[in-house]
Amino acid sequence: MNTQPLDFFFSFRSPYSYLAGPRAFALPERYDVDLTFRGVIPMAMRGQSVPREKGLHTLRDVAREARRLGMPFGPVHDPLGDGAIRCLLVSEHAIDVGREREFVLTASRGIWAEAVDVASDDGLRAVCERAGLEWAACAAALEDPALRARVDANTAALADLGHWGVPVFVFAGELFWGQDRIEDLEATLRDAGLDLPT
Amino acid sequence: MASPADLLARRVAPSAVIALSRVTWPARLGAATRRRLGRRGRVELFFAFDDPCSAIAVIDLTERLAGRDVRLLLKPVVRRGIEDDPAVELKRRYAIDDARRLGRRSGLELARREPLAAQDVGFLAEWVAAAPQGPALTRFCVAAQHRLWLESEGPVERADYGLLWRACLGGRPPATGGPQALRRNERLMRRRRPYDTPAAWVHGQWFFAHDRLAQIAERLDDLGWTAGA
Repeated sequence: MNTQPLDFFFSFRSPYSYLAGPRAFALPERYDVDLTFRGVIPMAMRGQSVPREKGLHTLRDVAREARRLGMPFGPVHDPLGDGAIRCLLVSEHAIDVGREREFVLTASRGIWAEAVDVASDDGLRAVCERAGLEWAACAAALEDPALRARVDANTAALADLGHWGVPVFVFAGELFWGQDRIEDLEATLRDAGLDLPT
Repeated sequence: MASPADLLARRVAPSAVIALSRVTWPARLGAATRRRLGRRGRVELFFAFDDPCSAIAVIDLTERLAGRDVRLLLKPVVRRGIEDDPAVELKRRYAIDDARRLGRRSGLELARREPLAAQDVGFLAEWVAAAPQGPALTRFCVAAQHRLWLESEGPVERADYGLLWRACLGGRPPATGGPQALRRNERLMRRRRPYDTPAAWVHGQWFFAHDRLAQIAERLDDLGWTAGA
């Protein structure tokens, strides 16, 4: 069986994406899949309203889920706006240098468990360097229109799939929405005979 | 440098919400007091008959609560979801795929492949809302969700469900009071804060009931309403 593509749509503003990250990036270690990270612009910056009740429930639910998964959660610093966009641009640069896993996991943990303000140069620089990226190249990425076009294309691709939220996995045309649907995705990967020998 | 207002909105307030959500002693104290007064635990399940994920929640939660000293209150609603949500149709269609996969986790196979219109099953919500809570009503809800989502694909025939009602509760479904009772459920759901179904309210916390079944059980364990206790 050939390696199969698996798309992973992610938002730095989504704490559920943060919860999904470590398990998502580990999938190619256990299944014969080629995982493509696709960072998207936050829902609240795409004209979709997020009511207060939903925001509050998300924080409380993620706190419970993080405890179940053994992941830290809080203190946080909401990256909505510049912070999210800057992380998306750097993540595209990180893809180019083969360090997207390190950057995405480090930045999302910084945002959702260490209250790092990624909208500030100091905050973003700290997570970039922890992820093994050179700050000068990351700072250049923030001004690179080609990288911004890739982010916009990812965001448009999610909309074209008829989907609204993240994290979303797409395998063989089938969508799996939610960090708590990774087990269903894994069942599908096993059914497709893609599990790797341990 | 972020302004104080920015820091409050982005850091202080959300971090405080998270920290406060971990404070469990008031709920545990309340639960212990309730038990001392001889009262049972209470789970309110807000659900919709046109929602396949609600079908999974009603069927599965009923089983998981068996053996606990907990009263399950079934609260059907019709109005649900985020107001003016542009993705509402996409969500309802996706819910079928999602419920199909969630059902498989519990050995349930969804038969229906297309969304149901709320108005086609509104009569079921009215019947259930107007009836007294209890094991017979729970049996009806479980059987009706089975029939709606796991055993049929075509149009919903009111007469079939009338027969099911007779089998579970005896007599005819309530002829009056349904719309008012339904509105009461919808108001209660808003007060409890869930914005969509299926939602289980468990002594001060709410959970999406189709994909947090294990967490609901964990909450009840934490509060002392363990299985077989």
